Amino acid sequence: MKKYLFLILAAVLVLSACGGFQIGDSEGSNASEEDSASGETEGSDAEGSNGEKVTLDFWSFWGSEQRRPVIDKIIEDFNSSQDEIEVQHTYVPWGDIWTKNLAAIAAGDPPDVIINDINTVKLRAQEGQMEPITEFVDSDVENRFYDQMTEATMYEDEMYALPFNTDTQILFYNKDLFEEAGLDPEDPPSTWAELEEYAAQLDVEEGGSYERIGFYPLIGAGSDVWMMNALGENYISPEGDVKIDTEPVHDTFNWILEQKNKYGENTITSINSQFENAQQDPFMAGNIGMMVQNANYYVQLRDFGQDINFGVAPLPEKEEGNGHTSWGGGFVAEIPKGAKDPEASYKFIEFLTNHDSQLYWAENNFDLVAHQEAGNSAAESEEFSEAGREVYSLMVENMDNTLLTPQPLVAPDFASTVNPTFESIISESTTVEAGLEKAQSDLERIVENNR
Amino acid sequence: MYKKKENLYGYIFILPWIIGFLGLTLGPLLFSLVGSFTNYNVTSQMDFVGFANYKEMFMYDDLFWTSLYNTLYFVAFSVPLTTIAAILISTLMNQDIPGMRIFRTIYYLPAILSGVGVYLLWMQLLDPSTGLINQFLALFGIDGPNWLFDAEWAKPSLIMMKLWSAGGSMLLYLAAMQGVSKTLYEAAIMDGATRVQMFFRITLPMVTPIIFFDIVTSTIGSFQIFQEAYVMSADNAGAPENSLLFYNLYMWIKAFNVFDMGYAMAMSWILFIIVLILTIINFKFARRWVHYEGD
Repeated sequence: MKKYLFLILAAVLVLSACGGFQIGDSEGSNASEEDSASGETEGSDAEGSNGEKVTLDFWSFWGSEQRRPVIDKIIEDFNSSQDEIEVQHTYVPWGDIWTKNLAAIAAGDPPDVIINDINTVKLRAQEGQMEPITEFVDSDVENRFYDQMTEATMYEDEMYALPFNTDTQILFYNKDLFEEAGLDPEDPPSTWAELEEYAAQLDVEEGGSYERIGFYPLIGAGSDVWMMNALGENYISPEGDVKIDTEPVHDTFNWILEQKNKYGENTITSINSQFENAQQDPFMAGNIGMMVQNANYYVQLRDFGQDINFGVAPLPEKEEGNGHTSWGGGFVAEIPKGAKDPEASYKFIEFLTNHDSQLYWAENNFDLVAHQEAGNSAAESEEFSEAGREVYSLMVENMDNTLLTPQPLVAPDFASTVNPTFESIISESTTVEAGLEKAQSDLERIVENNR
Repeated sequence: MYKKKENLYGYIFILPWIIGFLGLTLGPLLFSLVGSFTNYNVTSQMDFVGFANYKEMFMYDDLFWTSLYNTLYFVAFSVPLTTIAAILISTLMNQDIPGMRIFRTIYYLPAILSGVGVYLLWMQLLDPSTGLINQFLALFGIDGPNWLFDAEWAKPSLIMMKLWSAGGSMLLYLAAMQGVSKTLYEAAIMDGATRVQMFFRITLPMVTPIIFFDIVTSTIGSFQIFQEAYVMSADNAGAPENSLLFYNLYMWIKAFNVFDMGYAMAMSWILFIIVLILTIINFKFARRWVHYEGD
C-alpha cells in the first residue's frame, strides 16, 4: 500500500511539474523570440553610438590545417580595416554546424554570420531561418558574382546571402595513357561518342577482366550530372516541372548501361570502392584513362600525384551542339534569423566576398570563388604552377556551362525520392523504361502534394 | 511528522534526476506529441494540421514504408543472431581452462570500441576488392559479394558487423552462468546427464532472465539504428537503392534536411508505439519461458 501511495505521489508531482514546464516553456519560446531579437538590436545600436565595438560571432566549418589560417587571415584583415566591428571565428565541425545553427536560431541566440550551403538558401529563406540582406546590397556587390550563384540566393525578390565559393565538374584525362594508346594528348574527347571511342582505345583487357578502363560515366560523377548534361538543365525545374521521363534522360541511362555492361559490374564496383575508401587512387595509379570529377580534384593530383601527366577539358556533350553542361555547388555567407546586428553582419559578409579576400582565398586554397573578377585574377596568379593556372582557367570558363541546382521549394527532398530509383536502373533491378516512369510519377506526386 | 520530512529529503535528493527527466525527457516527449500534429519547422511556423502528417505517412509516403521495412528486417535478424552468438560465446568462456581470462578479454574487446572508428574499420574490411573479408573468401575460390555497394548485401553486412560486438552482452551471460549453483550440476552428473543436457536443462533456464533483458534492450536498441547507416551508406542517406534507409535515418533527413520537423515528430511517435507494443508482447510471452529463481 505504502508503495502505491508513493507511486501516485510521484506521478502527481511529475504531472503537475510538467504542466508548469510546458506552459512556461512554449509561451516563452514563442513570445520572446521577436522581443528578444529587437531588444538585442537596440542594445547593440546603443553600444555602437557609445563608440564601443560590436562583437560578431562567425561560424564556419573551415577547421583544416589548410583552410583555417586562410579564413583567419581574412578575418584579421577585416578587424584591422575598421574599428567598429570585431569578428570572432568559431569553428564548428561539418557534421554539426547546420543542426547547431538551427537549434541556435530556435533558441533566439544564433551566430551573427554563418557559412551555409548555396543550394538550400531558398528553402531556409522560406522557413524563416535567415535575415534578408536586400536593403544593404548595392548593384556593385550584386554583380560581383556569377549569375546563377546570385540567383540561388534570391527568394521572393529578396536577396538572402552572398555567394562565397563554388565548384564545377570537368573531365580529367591521363596524357601519358593517351600517347600510349596512339591518341593525341592535346585533343580530348568533346562528345559522348568520342568518349566511347577513346575509351575503347584506352581499355586494357586481359583474360576477360579489365586491367585498365578507358572511361566510365559514373566514376567521380553521378547519373544526375549526365542527365543535366543531356538536358541542359536540371531534371526538375525550380517551379516543379519534372523532365525525367524524356528522351534525353532515356538516352543517358541507356548510354551508361551500355558501358556498364562492357566493363562488368565487378570492375566498376572495385574501382568505385577504391575511391570511396581512399586507399589508393585509381586515376593516379593509371587504372583509368579519363574521368569526370569535381575540378578541385586537381589539388589531390598536385599534392599526391607528382608523376602523373594529366589534362583537363570541359564535360563532353551528348551530341555536337547540345552543350557542355556541367554541375556545381557552393557555399554562401548568410545572417541567421535573429542575429543581433544584421547591418554589422552584412559589412563582414561584404568583406568576405570582396575582390581581395576572394583572391586570397582562391590563391591559398585553389578553390573557385564566387567573385568573377577575383576568379579571373586567380586564373593568372603567379601563386599557381602552370598546370594550376590551366585548371583554374578552365574552372572559370566552365562556369558558363555550370548549373547550380537550388532545391525546388515544391520538392525539397527530390533527390532522396528519385535517387534510389536511378540506382536501381543502374543496378538493373528495374528497366530504364519502368524506372524513369516511376521516378517521374513519384516526383510529380510530391510536387502536387506540396503545391 | 517525521515521515513527511523524510519524504521531502528523499525528493530533494532525487531532484537533479527529476529536473533532468522533466526538462530533458518528458518535456521534449510531450512537445513532440503536440508537434506531430503541426507543421512545425523549428524556426517560423507551428500551425495545427490535425492528422495530416500521419495520413501522409501511412497513405502516400513510400519511403516511410521502405524505412520501416529496412528497420524491421534489421531487428528481425540482428536481435536473435546477436543473442544466440552471445550465449554461445559465454558458454565457451565459462569453461575452466588455463588462459581463459585472455580469451574473455579478446571477446569483450570489440564492445569497448565504438562509434565511427569501428564503422570505418568495417568499411575497409568489407571493401569488395581490397577488403580482408573478400580476400579471405577468395582463398577458397569464393567470389565475395559487393557488401555495402550491393542493395541485397548492405543490410546483411551491417548485421554481421553487429555480431562482432556480441561480446558486450556476453559479459552479462557469463556473470549469470557463473551464478548458477554448482549443486545443480553435481546432482545432474550423478543422474548421468550429458553436457548438452545440462546446458539445455540447467544453464539455459537459469539465465533466461538475462536473455529476456537482453532481447528487450537490444530490440529497442536495434530499432534506433542510425549512426551505422549514416556513416556507412555511400551518400549518407541510405544508398544503395535505399537499402540502408533505416527509420531513424529517414526521420533525421525529414527533420534536418527538409525541416519537416512536425512530420519527423509524428514518425518518432509511430516508432515509439511500435516498440511499446513489441515490448508489451515480449513481457507477455516472458511468463512462459523466463524462469526467476525466487519464484
